[in-house]
Amino acid sequence: MANKLPLQKIRVANFGWVWAGPVVGQTLGFLGAEVYKIESRARIDLTRNLPPFAEGVRDPNRSLSNHACWAGNGSITLNLKKDEAKQLALDFIAKCDVVIENFGPGVMKQLGFGYEELCKVKPDIVMFSMPAAGLYGPLKDIRTYGLSLTSTTGLDSLTGYLDGAPIPVENAYSDPYNGILGAFAIVAALHYRDRSGEGQHIDYSQQEAIMQMVGPAYMDYVLNGRVAGPIENRHPRAMASPHGVFPCAGDDRWISIAVLTDEEWQGLQCAVKKAAGSDASWIDAPEFATHEARLAHIASLHEKLAMWTKQFGDTELAARLQAAGVAAAPVLNVADLLNNPHYKARKTFLEVTHPLGFEETIYGAYVKMSESEPAVRPGPSMGQDNEHVFKNLLGLPEARYAKLVEEQIIY
Amino acid sequence: MRSRLLKSALEMVEPTWGKILSKQSNEALAGIRVIELGQMISAPYCAKLFADFGADVIKVEAPASTGLPGDLSRHWGPFPSDEPHLEKSGTFFFLNTNKRSVTLDVAQEKGRAILKKLLAQADVLIENCHPGQMREWGLDFAALQKINPRLVMISITPFGQTGPYCDWKGYDLNAYHLSGASHRYCGRPGEAPLEHGTFAADFFGAISAATWGLAAVYGRSLVAQNAEGGGQQLDVSCAEAIAAAFVGGQNIGGYAQDGKFEHRTGVGMPLGAPATIVPCKDGYVWMLALEPGQWNGLAKVMGNPEWMQLDLFQDMYARAQNADAIYPMLQEWTMEHSKQEIMDLCQANGCPVTAVYNVAEAAAQEHLKVREYLVHLAHPHLGTIPTLGAPFKLPKSPGGPKRPAPLLGEHNQEVYGEMLSQDAALLTTWKRDGII
Repeated sequence: MANKLPLQKIRVANFGWVWAGPVVGQTLGFLGAEVYKIESRARIDLTRNLPPFAEGVRDPNRSLSNHACWAGNGSITLNLKKDEAKQLALDFIAKCDVVIENFGPGVMKQLGFGYEELCKVKPDIVMFSMPAAGLYGPLKDIRTYGLSLTSTTGLDSLTGYLDGAPIPVENAYSDPYNGILGAFAIVAALHYRDRSGEGQHIDYSQQEAIMQMVGPAYMDYVLNGRVAGPIENRHPRAMASPHGVFPCAGDDRWISIAVLTDEEWQGLQCAVKKAAGSDASWIDAPEFATHEARLAHIASLHEKLAMWTKQFGDTELAARLQAAGVAAAPVLNVADLLNNPHYKARKTFLEVTHPLGFEETIYGAYVKMSESEPAVRPGPSMGQDNEHVFKNLLGLPEARYAKLVEEQIIY
Repeated sequence: MRSRLLKSALEMVEPTWGKILSKQSNEALAGIRVIELGQMISAPYCAKLFADFGADVIKVEAPASTGLPGDLSRHWGPFPSDEPHLEKSGTFFFLNTNKRSVTLDVAQEKGRAILKKLLAQADVLIENCHPGQMREWGLDFAALQKINPRLVMISITPFGQTGPYCDWKGYDLNAYHLSGASHRYCGRPGEAPLEHGTFAADFFGAISAATWGLAAVYGRSLVAQNAEGGGQQLDVSCAEAIAAAFVGGQNIGGYAQDGKFEHRTGVGMPLGAPATIVPCKDGYVWMLALEPGQWNGLAKVMGNPEWMQLDLFQDMYARAQNADAIYPMLQEWTMEHSKQEIMDLCQANGCPVTAVYNVAEAAAQEHLKVREYLVHLAHPHLGTIPTLGAPFKLPKSPGGPKRPAPLLGEHNQEVYGEMLSQDAALLTTWKRDGII
């Protein structure tokens, strides 16, 4: 029987660029929506120029990271500096359910694609805007990058080694996070549209969405006036001990271990005692005998545990601890991701053939569906869907299409 | 569904009902009924997203007779004055707004029979139990699909329902560090890789689950092979979602092709400069000045010192190569100014520097007040206190917390009465037997 996907009747125009916006489209695409990025050779997205490139050939259609992050979006090219291109975009939007954009507030309006304009061509359009700090308010024009936006939410102040300075996360966790949650906002608005007949303009503040992650720490401030600092890898509610990342044998090898219950602690005790060749008496010390005691002596417990873990390889030790009922897992590096048996079994990463003919590795459907096979498509090459959209969907005659290409309107 | 038809029939004949319903139907997800079998962060936050946008979320919690009543986060606090109390946990308060709570001991056969009756009338089940546990209880998807072919089952676990680690025990910490995110992106070289200082993996899993799950509900009639079906299970691994969409997206193609990969550096963006967190007079700022306009904006704010005018330093890569010289000179200036001062001056001059706010400062931002992000809720035990509002605004169908997190079993009578038409006597029996 043919594969049925839940969003297969939804068509999306995606003005999103860089990372977060394209991921919104990608997410809807996995779920069956027909998504087209609107881009142009007149202003090539900077992520299309990020190395490394397929087969080492520098070209905006060969950036490997760009493809993985954009995969699932189709692509049409329109030089929006030209009025005819703007009209074509509006003609296209008239046949869409959703418009996505992640420019600053007001940019879409300047381009001629403000919400009111879109409603004129498609009255029940769902327009999704995801500026850094929302569409209004004193910080609406704040300049940030995805990786530093988190600093305005309190999240960065919690990240780092104990009693030390905040340590930056070296890439924008918030981009894919907001990309995926942004798609939730859109589907919620589609639910509403189908019931009420009305579209709407979603105001998605990336700051506010990310700030939800500090909820537990924020409540401690509300209830006790306590302002948390960096917590290393400790349990955010201080309810577990040990709870951290410990060194293993080998170069930059680590294991995560979290003990929340007495049963898990007993499992850890057994595992430590079973390991030949190490002095295990510390694990029975009275200062570690109860949950409360372990929390009170977490620093010395971590120190002793680290001396023990570093004798073992990370995967070997994780298996050993799991067998004893302890929550432990290796700390993977990038290379491990591709070779890890769990991710292999779940087909997390897969090789696909790009429309231009080369092979590349991207991530597939990271959520598994029991009745639908999510659509996995390779990263778009610029304008790959021009003919389909402009000729089939908008019905442009061949001659007119060719002229628009020649005049660099479809460009 | 019959109940919905009945409701719309009522709407036509009964004006009061009509008013109530039209008020409700303003919410985006009105009409969707969710059963939550969730603990801690991931499933509760996923279900909160449904609840805050209008779904009827019924949270099923363990009764006192089990010895460990309610969602574990009820035991986690933070509690006012650090005094543990089932109804005063801040984490629970934040994660469970707009939900109804019933108690039910699903470890008992009778309890599971009642749960199945609830699930027969639900659209969605959101759960984060260990996969083995659900099988053992006979609550795996194959079993539930027979009871309700339209049920969308959202299962959120650290590692997922399949694969060699599916039977592993795991928590947020284990999932995060299995994703590659920490090893690649956070921590100083040679020292332990770091997670964000929160339940970062659980949150990422929760939002992935909510999005895919809501889409599955939306498209049920398209997916259905016949009039009855359309439900399905969504298997979400928190570790996998991050490994794919965050780490994999940026790194996996390059590694697969060239066999090369990078490690964390402890610096925000090692290839360009300045791009990292630096100390200032009263804390820290996220110092970012990459493009020439940004760098020159920063120079202007700093009074155009001579060294910043060097041609060499017009290029962010050249600056990064001289990071050892540049950062101390920038720091000399930042240490004389407050985070807010630096942010305001830089932003006004086209340079994307932001203050590293602590949680109190973040919550105090005028911007968030203007946007009414913080919402005050009256809670019987905590009083009227603020919480974080909706993560996004749907102007025509506003969401966000309206009712505080429920008391344990607060809605037993209401829900069981409504869904199972049980009379008070039976409820008393169930209570006596420790089922609810």
